[in-house]
Amino acid sequence: MLKKLILASAALGFASLPALAHVTLESNEAPVGSTYKAVFRIPHGCEGKPTNVVRVKLPQGYYAVKPMPKPGWTLEKVIGKYEKPYDNHGTEMTEGVTEVVWSGGNLPDDEYDEFVMRGSLGADLAAGGTLYFPVVQECPDGAAERWIEIPAAGQSAHDLEMPAPGLKLLEKTGGH
Amino acid sequence: MTAALPAPFTRIARLVALVVLTMLLHAGAAWSHASLNASEPADGAVVAAAPRSYSLTFSEPVSPLALRLVRPDGSSAPLDRFAVRGNGVEIEVPADLGRGTHVLSWRVVSADGHPVGGAIVFSIGAASASAPVVGEEIDWTVRGWLWASKVALYIGFFFGIGGVFARCILMPGTDAGSRIVAWALALGAAASVVSLGFQGLDALGAPASRLADPTVWSTGLGTSYGGTVVAALVAFALAGCALAMTGLAAQATAGAALLLAGIALALSGHASAASPQWLMRPAVFLHGTAIAAWIGALAPLGLALRGSRQGAVQALRRFSRVIPVVVAVLVVAGIVLAVVQVERPAALLDTAYGQVLLVKLALLAGLFVLAAVNRWFLTAPAEAGDPAATRRLVRSVAVETLVVLLVSGAAAVWRFTPPPRALAAAAAAPAVMHVHAAEAMADLTVTPGRAGPVRVSAVIATGESGPLDAKEVTFVFSKPDAGIEPFRRKAERSGDGAWRADGVVLPLPGDWSVRVDVLISDFEMARLAGRIAIRP
Repeated sequence: MLKKLILASAALGFASLPALAHVTLESNEAPVGSTYKAVFRIPHGCEGKPTNVVRVKLPQGYYAVKPMPKPGWTLEKVIGKYEKPYDNHGTEMTEGVTEVVWSGGNLPDDEYDEFVMRGSLGADLAAGGTLYFPVVQECPDGAAERWIEIPAAGQSAHDLEMPAPGLKLLEKTGGH
Repeated sequence: MTAALPAPFTRIARLVALVVLTMLLHAGAAWSHASLNASEPADGAVVAAAPRSYSLTFSEPVSPLALRLVRPDGSSAPLDRFAVRGNGVEIEVPADLGRGTHVLSWRVVSADGHPVGGAIVFSIGAASASAPVVGEEIDWTVRGWLWASKVALYIGFFFGIGGVFARCILMPGTDAGSRIVAWALALGAAASVVSLGFQGLDALGAPASRLADPTVWSTGLGTSYGGTVVAALVAFALAGCALAMTGLAAQATAGAALLLAGIALALSGHASAASPQWLMRPAVFLHGTAIAAWIGALAPLGLALRGSRQGAVQALRRFSRVIPVVVAVLVVAGIVLAVVQVERPAALLDTAYGQVLLVKLALLAGLFVLAAVNRWFLTAPAEAGDPAATRRLVRSVAVETLVVLLVSGAAAVWRFTPPPRALAAAAAAPAVMHVHAAEAMADLTVTPGRAGPVRVSAVIATGESGPLDAKEVTFVFSKPDAGIEPFRRKAERSGDGAWRADGVVLPLPGDWSVRVDVLISDFEMARLAGRIAIRP
């Protein structure tokens, strides 16, 4: 019944969107100033091909990031300068991981996997805003899926063909 | 998620939110959508025979919402006989598919409720290439007057100015046919003025009722034909003066009038506009002056012979000595013009320009037969004073004059028939689109700008027109008004730095939505969307 309802409502006036399954974050909201575990869900490969490389570009404001290693994948951390320093338990951090690459793996199109990292959300980030994590899936023969579109002002992620996964920032909660 | 609410409640709330979201906001991004992994026939394929069935294979099970087949003529019909098998959809094909490019446009919904669409473009036999259509409304009144004034202008040039040239230079001493020559000059002068007005009407696409409007005349004068009219009027005036003069002054003036008439013809028209200009303009000039020199002599000569005027025999002798050279020039120049304009022999039959040329050639063949009979069978006896031969020669010259009028009439039709050269150039003209965004801009060219197989190329630059070293460029075409969902073609970087996609088929004419996806860096993409008009 529900499925039918969804089908029917979806069939009603819908703007054209090409056929692509989205890479998403498992939990897509978090308070500013908190520790956030980002779980990227990879639903499929590139038009039937397996995924060999997953690259995630980290947004400014997500610092002190540690990616989780994955058996069968080579983990690479690209270190870069932060736009502004962060206070990490009394230590000032001016640089850290800005891009994470899992490579050399093989995730077939008809299987599912998750890629994980953990880090801190800057306390001075604006609550109500969204952080975007552009993700690129690379497959054999130069094929790639690029989840890198960030909505422009007045645009919704639903208008985009290949939206980057977004994290909605909530008000700072009490305590740590 | 807050854990304050009991689990079942949360689940129901989520379900309700899900449905509402789906209806109001389009499907949420948190679900995975089906993607097309393969199709039969493949996108962009050219298949020898109509496929018996189509199949679409997706990344997950789907339910088709709408499947349409758009035929080469633009008509589209729903494909409502299909079966869903696993991740695939098998579609039954209509039996009567002809040759040409078809579009299988699909829209499906996957388990997450997010409808997605796309299109498969494939061709049976070969990609459709529609014939160029010149869909223009014709104002027959304006055309009729334009044609008539053009014929009258030719009469003025050939019988009038040519006649003056014959009397003063080719056959001095003949004074027969003065009245005809003078009338032809007057007719030509009047026609050149009148034709200017109709040229203006034609250029503006205005009806004949606007002939009194000064802008019509200034427009006519502003076209290349304006130069022709000015030169022609001066030529007619000079020729008129030459008629009234004698001796060397008359000869010089008549010669100047003939040269000016040739220049007038070379200043405008399809043939003069063709390249190579260094060849075409002189060819038109020589063709025109040679016709005038030959044809202009006919009336004075015929009348002199008929009246057995003094000097008629000497005139005939000079005519028959000089004219073969003149005709040779005329024929050579004419062949050059025809070869450049027609381009390929088949165009003689399948274009209006070629058909007019064939009619003209047939008339010319008759004219040359008459001229040859005159030259080899009648001239010698007539020069010897044989009255029967002279009579037949006079009659033959009269018929020649008539044929020349018909040839002029045929040549004047060319005013309305673009030559195959120009048709080919018009058909090959590209369609262009410029899209400019903050991060990038693209100049897109579709060559030819017509429905059918095309080459798409784009020059990509930054938003400030600086160089942009894009990693990837993809063109995405769709035509919502014809029910064609987006299909994408990857571009290759060509030697000159532009991004090109060969072998793209745009099956229908009209407005197409085009998007140029420019991958600027691994994590940055610009999508430049615009519209482009594709001709039939």
